[in-house]
Amino acid sequence: MTKKISAPETGICPERTNKTIPVMYYQAGLVIFIALIPFLFPSFRVMDVVAKIMIFTIVTASFDLLLGYTGILSFAHGMFFGIGAYSIALILFFAPNPSWVHIPLSIVVSLLVSIGLSVIISFFSLRVKAIFFAMLTLSLAEFAHILGVQWSGLTGGEDGISFTLPSVFNFNHSLGTLFHTEINGRLLVYYLILASTIALFAGLLRFIRSPLGRVLKAVRDNEQRTTALGYKTFGYKLYSIVFSSCTASLGGILFSMWLCYVNPGSVFHTAIMVNILLMVLIGGMGTLYGAMIGASFLIVTENWLPGLLKHMAAFAPESTLVNNLADRWQLYFGILFILVVLFFPKGVIGTIRSQMNLNRQAKQP
Amino acid sequence: METGGIMTTQTLGVEKSRERIKTRINMGMGMGIFLLPLIWMDTTTYFTLTVAGISLGMLIFLIASGLTLIFGLMDVLNLAHAAFFAFGAYAGAAVLNGFDSLGWISTASLPESLLYLVSALLAAGLTGAVLGIATETLVIRKVYGDHLMQLLVTVGVSFVIVEILKIVWGVNNEVVPVPMGFQDSFILWGVFIEYFRVVAIVLGIGVFAGLQFVLKKTKIGIIVRAGVENREIVKTTGYNISRIFTLIFAAGAALAATGGIMMAVFNQAVDPGMGDQFLIFALIVVIIGGMGSVTGSFIGAVMVGLSFNYVAYLIPKMALGVNFMIMAVILLIRPKGLFGKE
Amino acid sequence: MSDPILSLDAVHTHIGRHHILQGVSFSVASGGATILLGRNGAGKSTVLKTIMGLFPASGGKIVFKGQAVERKKTHEIARMGMGYVPEDRAVLFNLTVEENFCLSMIVENEKTHERLNEVLELFPALKKFWKTRAGLLSGGQKQMLAIARVFVCDHSLLLIDEPSKGLAPIIVDQLGESLLRIKDKTKVILVEQNFNLARQVGSDCFILDDGRVVHHGLIQDLAEDKALMKKYLGIG
Repeated sequence: MTKKISAPETGICPERTNKTIPVMYYQAGLVIFIALIPFLFPSFRVMDVVAKIMIFTIVTASFDLLLGYTGILSFAHGMFFGIGAYSIALILFFAPNPSWVHIPLSIVVSLLVSIGLSVIISFFSLRVKAIFFAMLTLSLAEFAHILGVQWSGLTGGEDGISFTLPSVFNFNHSLGTLFHTEINGRLLVYYLILASTIALFAGLLRFIRSPLGRVLKAVRDNEQRTTALGYKTFGYKLYSIVFSSCTASLGGILFSMWLCYVNPGSVFHTAIMVNILLMVLIGGMGTLYGAMIGASFLIVTENWLPGLLKHMAAFAPESTLVNNLADRWQLYFGILFILVVLFFPKGVIGTIRSQMNLNRQAKQP
Repeated sequence: METGGIMTTQTLGVEKSRERIKTRINMGMGMGIFLLPLIWMDTTTYFTLTVAGISLGMLIFLIASGLTLIFGLMDVLNLAHAAFFAFGAYAGAAVLNGFDSLGWISTASLPESLLYLVSALLAAGLTGAVLGIATETLVIRKVYGDHLMQLLVTVGVSFVIVEILKIVWGVNNEVVPVPMGFQDSFILWGVFIEYFRVVAIVLGIGVFAGLQFVLKKTKIGIIVRAGVENREIVKTTGYNISRIFTLIFAAGAALAATGGIMMAVFNQAVDPGMGDQFLIFALIVVIIGGMGSVTGSFIGAVMVGLSFNYVAYLIPKMALGVNFMIMAVILLIRPKGLFGKE
Repeated sequence: MSDPILSLDAVHTHIGRHHILQGVSFSVASGGATILLGRNGAGKSTVLKTIMGLFPASGGKIVFKGQAVERKKTHEIARMGMGYVPEDRAVLFNLTVEENFCLSMIVENEKTHERLNEVLELFPALKKFWKTRAGLLSGGQKQMLAIARVFVCDHSLLLIDEPSKGLAPIIVDQLGESLLRIKDKTKVILVEQNFNLARQVGSDCFILDDGRVVHHGLIQDLAEDKALMKKYLGIG
């Protein structure tokens, strides 16, 4: 029964035999490498890119939990990211004298808001069909964006709010130098992001490998049959939505802490949601690890593509069209997006896994 | 066998008329709610707001009708709709700007203004149709029957179209010249009514009636409805179904684009993100009315337009929120929307 | 045999990975009814769908009225004068009977209107429910409509897929009479599991087994040949 549901092709539950050990080595190696980056590359830009990759890995992986594992397309995921980002920004901005206490406080606040909203959303998802749910969440996300822009008394409108982090996390707070690198608040935030990413990613992995995760996959593949097998699918969907929304809002907090600035355009805009979607698709839906690949690819290109295009446009400085084409680098993301959906729907990890499965099948006829 | 057939038709007929009476009562109650604002405002203000609300509703209907048409007939939820809308607005605005540079806009009489508007509408509609045909043949055709892929791919298309729009027309807001004739107004029962509002209302009702007529009474409507139900029969009868679907998609996109230029004239401005702002209205309307129902969209659009205007007058910050509340309430009572079918 | 109206030459069809038709060859002359027999899964329906272009033929030739049609689109084949009645009462449930006919008439002229009157005489029940949604008709009436809406077009060949499926015996008898009158006007290729209906309507018959034609002959002779019947049709 269970075997039928978790079809080998999806390959979400890898066999935990002797394969587990090398994977652990890879993971440890990756973590150590990321931890050493501030010392290896003195440029802030590399650190910035890696930090953003980590944050978006979490946000994307939590979205993958919804889309790839539960089969729910929610456009409100970016909204939860924004809720996290704004909750810490607002608390630190409006608190009379911010201290470290306000950071856990904002975590609690953002989690409470996220849980409340995601429970409401879940109740609607029970009542309406998938396509309806997508529309509903899309309009909700737009609403959040408009609210962020128009409620300028609270959110600072389009201009957003910048704030400073309290106590040791303050970017100007220095603890001395180590190997020619200054140990300051920013570096601490970097390690905080690293630690949280590891913890949250492990949490997500644990979630999907639990019996609960297997039921979610069953819901995705055939909700009716899962109900018929005796599972109350609504409860499982609720867990999934709440858990992933909370993870996304924690990702938002980290994002906000890293930039010390939020505005509606950078956290609530549909473009963020499109980016998250693209990251999931490139990495591969329903793979979780794909989030790392998707986030790395997108953020690296986002950082270096505009510059590259500018250099190319410099060859034809006269033509406004060429310059415009170079300016609008998002266009190429959009085209890439369409191409990935149409021709590469399994993503990188998904394709590798199905290839591996084919090989395995070929070996044992 | 035959008697069985008659029985079913008869009982169904009775149920249908009962259902109809019920709907009427519900609709009557619904209408009653819209008299509620009279408690807080005088009749002149109420009348002004009502006219403005209906005309806003008609503009929203133009966007929503295309969305619901494409969904209802092709079972495709097209999230690139907002992009067609914005592109149409820019294309139409370009035509009006062209007339303006000739100095015709600022001196236009009412008939002349109508002529200019119609040409802008045509330009927008044509652009929308071309975009729609391109999108359908290049992209949508490959993902029929897979909702998730459709949603994803149309998000991508939307992104691409808006970027192209920015490349062609730039990223900034621009003022749209409004033909002089529309800036006049006439007085009805002590209330100033702008001519453009009347144009919007007439256009909205015209599109509604036109769609109903085409779908219900013409052969092309029969073919389209048949194609939705069973593609194989339509194919084997001798119709080119993929061309029909391209046509529907183009029509939906053209409706979005004409809605775009109307909204641009209404607000006297265009900006690249305008699609997203009005998509939210269109989505609410389609959800309220029931996916795929043109009548539902029409009524939903009027509801949204009216409530938006009343609330914007009474509690400005709540205007959009109230529409969400309406949507939530309707979804809780009727999960498929007012006119939604299984 | 005179010039065949339709001929298949070594036609292969794949559906997904499955090789359904493995070289089907036969040809039918115009006039009368030709019956395709065979047990479930022999490929009878697939033959019709391949002729109609609903499944692409992966090999072989199909010639209809002197033209190769195996690469043509379904709607083009239909417009060449081939009518197709799929199995399972293929009518448009949400359209009225009237609209169902309206859809069928790809050309409207005096001749088709005459044909329509004729058809309504043949199936009087349809006239009675002219404005009723087809979904509300009984099973038998739906099947009548499914055939009538194709017959109205004055095609030169009708492909009819298992019209008797799931109908009460008395309705099947009525259906047989209607089919007899239809085959006088139009060439019919009929796929049928109901041997009695097949014998009532047709004379020329082909038996399919495992995606190939295994027998050709008169259906009356077949009725005598118990061994063959047992082998390919499981009747006996």
